[in-house]
Amino acid sequence: MEKKKENVFRILARWFVRFFFGLKYEEKWFGKKEKEQKEVVFKNGVPDDSELIVSPGRQILNRFLERKFAVFSVFVVLVMFCIVFIAPHFMTKYYDAFTETTQKDLPPTLSLMSVPKELQDNVKMIDSYGSFSVGLSNDGKVYVWGIGQIGATGINIKEIPEEVQNAKIAYVAAGQDHIIAIGEDGKFYGWGSNRFGQYAVTDAIRENPNLEPVPDAVLNGEIDVNHIKKLTCGYQASAILMDDGTLYIWGNKQSYSNMDNFIGRDNIVDVDFTLNYIVGLNKKQTSVYTGTKGLYAMARSKIKTGTAVKMSEFLKKRKITELRATSTSLCLLLDDGTIALTGDFPNDVVEVPDLAEGEYFVDIEAGTYHYSGLTNLGHVYSFGGDHYRQAEAPQVNGAKKLFAGAFQSYAVDENGKLLNKWGLKGYLFGTDDRGANIAERVIAGGRITMTVGAIAVIIEIVIGVSIGLMAGFLGGWVDIFLMRVAEVFSSIPLYPFMLILSSLLAQVSMTTDQRLYMIMVILGVLGWPGFAYITRAQVLVARESEYVTAAQAMGVKETRIAYKHILPNIISVILVNMTLSFAASMQTETSLSFLGFGVNYPQPSWGNMLSRASNATAAINFWWQWLFTSAILIMTTVCINTIGDTLRDVMDPKSTNDK
Amino acid sequence: MARYILKRLVYMVFVFFLLTFILFMLYQMMPANRAYTDARNEIQTMKHLSEEEKATKFDELYLKYQRIYGTDTNNKLVLYLRWLGLYPFYDGHFSGIFEGDFGFSYDYNLPVVKVVPTHMRNSFLIGIITEIAVLGVTIPLGIKCAVKKNSRFDRFTQFFSLIGFSTPSFIIYIIFIVFFCSILHWFPVSGMKTPGANYTGWRNALDVLHHVALPTICLTFGSLASITRICRASMIDALNLDCIRTARAKGLTEKTVIYSHAWRNALIPMVSIIVGGFFNTISGAMILETMFGFKGMGLLFLNATRTADYDMIMFLEVIYTFLGLFSNLVIDLCYGIVDPRVRISK
Repeated sequence: MEKKKENVFRILARWFVRFFFGLKYEEKWFGKKEKEQKEVVFKNGVPDDSELIVSPGRQILNRFLERKFAVFSVFVVLVMFCIVFIAPHFMTKYYDAFTETTQKDLPPTLSLMSVPKELQDNVKMIDSYGSFSVGLSNDGKVYVWGIGQIGATGINIKEIPEEVQNAKIAYVAAGQDHIIAIGEDGKFYGWGSNRFGQYAVTDAIRENPNLEPVPDAVLNGEIDVNHIKKLTCGYQASAILMDDGTLYIWGNKQSYSNMDNFIGRDNIVDVDFTLNYIVGLNKKQTSVYTGTKGLYAMARSKIKTGTAVKMSEFLKKRKITELRATSTSLCLLLDDGTIALTGDFPNDVVEVPDLAEGEYFVDIEAGTYHYSGLTNLGHVYSFGGDHYRQAEAPQVNGAKKLFAGAFQSYAVDENGKLLNKWGLKGYLFGTDDRGANIAERVIAGGRITMTVGAIAVIIEIVIGVSIGLMAGFLGGWVDIFLMRVAEVFSSIPLYPFMLILSSLLAQVSMTTDQRLYMIMVILGVLGWPGFAYITRAQVLVARESEYVTAAQAMGVKETRIAYKHILPNIISVILVNMTLSFAASMQTETSLSFLGFGVNYPQPSWGNMLSRASNATAAINFWWQWLFTSAILIMTTVCINTIGDTLRDVMDPKSTNDK
Repeated sequence: MARYILKRLVYMVFVFFLLTFILFMLYQMMPANRAYTDARNEIQTMKHLSEEEKATKFDELYLKYQRIYGTDTNNKLVLYLRWLGLYPFYDGHFSGIFEGDFGFSYDYNLPVVKVVPTHMRNSFLIGIITEIAVLGVTIPLGIKCAVKKNSRFDRFTQFFSLIGFSTPSFIIYIIFIVFFCSILHWFPVSGMKTPGANYTGWRNALDVLHHVALPTICLTFGSLASITRICRASMIDALNLDCIRTARAKGLTEKTVIYSHAWRNALIPMVSIIVGGFFNTISGAMILETMFGFKGMGLLFLNATRTADYDMIMFLEVIYTFLGLFSNLVIDLCYGIVDPRVRISK
């Protein structure tokens, strides 16, 4: 192998390879480090051969590269920068003010869609709601996956009651915080939260006018399992629909204000729950029944383009056979295999697919925002809300059954074998108290925190260095005046001043971006005196040096001397302080945001993302909401400070001796 | 030296006026018109008046209250001077901070000077314990690290002080709260004493101590790292001085060299930290007090900004500004004591 000259890139590459592949590969790809053959041999950062002259910049770089931890820090900070500034461009689904009630406070997991192995070849039915899914195998066994903890209630929905594990189950359904199961002998089971009478009846529930207790016929197991048409659960309510149109419905009436219209009805063909309404289909099968006039009365065939017309006009003598509800919209399957949509859709949607000639929908299933449809050819399609990419269905052939719930869909063949699944897998860092993905907010927040820190430092440098240069170079009364001004600025108490300004700004109507600029400017304007002092001190030293005297003797202009001769010599000190100040600005910004006087919600910052942790109970219950964010914040500031420290060490000629 | 102190004092007074002027102007921007509010409240109690009478009566009352509060002019300078107590009110009396009238807290329904002392005492109490603890730990640690530079002990300390220095203080508090309150249940999470308990004497003191312990520990740990770093750095600089080499060459014991010769020099950059830290204890620790619900100066200020209790804000700002300037003066004086060169040159 031909010997190549060592340059910066080669050294960096070498470091990279050694770091990730080990010494073996480093020697294999870069050749052994044969000290004799190198041009310059470094020992403790000093060239051994004093004949060879190395430029100061080169020497500093070489000495820097000797510090493993510092190089590693540079690497980490660069990676953080890349992630924080480039990744937001790929987070197309992300926006600051995103909230999702069903996904609040979820711990980190990627198991929302991991169907247990035993169930995978044997699926009878799957239902999901919020953060967990429940599955039923063909031999009547129940499986629950996803996140079992229901908020801070201490209830774990994954703890399936023993009697359910022993019984043969015929139907299961999942609600917001409860699961309902019906045994093949008609026995009724439920577990999870029972705060709103989801599955058990107590005297308190009977007496509460806002709760509808479970009907006695259901509780006593008097219903005929073979004639159950559908078991479905909503937010805190559940319903059983029989073949003959009898409907049993119970749960929280405050979640579903139109529940009274459905209690005791016996002419229902299909029923489902949106987030706020129960929707049903009458025997006539020509309109959606909610008990409220005008609700879901307009239909269209496409989400974005279709113009909504009256239901009767849209149907044109066709009948509705199936009704499926997401949180805010309905999808109706008509008897000719086409679909009708009604209700509101989120902004981020996948359009209803155009089916090929001869292909038609045989089944539609609904999640929280999306629909999945199964066609007669065994293909699956998804449409509707797509924030979690749950409406981007893969190519599936030979599907016979389709299940959807929450943000997941599962395609199953005729034998119950799971063919494919798509949707939300989970959250790497969990979700916050508004249901937003913390990992995404960490990235978006890092962008803001780092930008604020960087711009604040740039403002500090521009003001501080100019004033320091002027004071140091011009001297006399200018020096005295400027230093007094700097002293005034440095004696302004930072936090009280920021708090006053912040509450003042709250009175002025400001866009969030303007507020962000204000924070940068305030941090910068209050922080410059440090740079001014340092620059001035350095200039005073530099002014006495021979090269400046020489320049003055040659008649070089004062400003030119200041910027061309003195500034380059003090740049190293400024560089060190810039690095340290950058970390300090980031810390100040996070502290202010933590107190609620910096960056405010919905804009994320590493500070305001942690504000919930000031509550001890929340800090322990929802540990993931502060742990990851603060770990990343600390890691970044540690690395930046390490770089600053190391720079200071390697730039200081005195420190060589005592190493 | 006396001349220097005099110069500093004159300068201090100037900066005090300048800063309070800036803050006062900011305060003027706050949308609060107490005269208007009071006049409207009073007019609402007079139900027997007709609309027209009300309008004229309101103008009368508004003017009356404006004169009481001294806001009957739009001249900001006059307003500022009235606030200072250097310009008479409408009826000719002076009432400003120089007369000891700092305003009235509408939140506490008390004059602000009556509210602040208890809070200041709390902050001072916790601050002074912290200050002593921090200096007691960091100075020996910093000296040891500097003397045994690059030893394993030094590297270990350096590593942890780097992490501590880079961690925003509130994250340290979160970790401590989670660990000591939620996991170990050693300390109560917030408050100054057990709610509902009426302890007296010894029990009361123990109870308060139990509540104050964790904030003190948190505050101490929050500032350990940075001061250790500064102490180490200044000690290393001091140990590199020529005089140390001379001292060693003279055959002085290592103990004398370090504690008598090097430490005296290292103390110079430390003075501002020690004195500044002492004055900071009075200003209170805003984040800590918020998190623990500790009734100190920081929490008082924060609550005042949240509830727009303007007189309170202004009074606290005056205290902060005064403390800041006064601590600068004390630092300068201490430099004179510690560093003989300063004494001679100035």
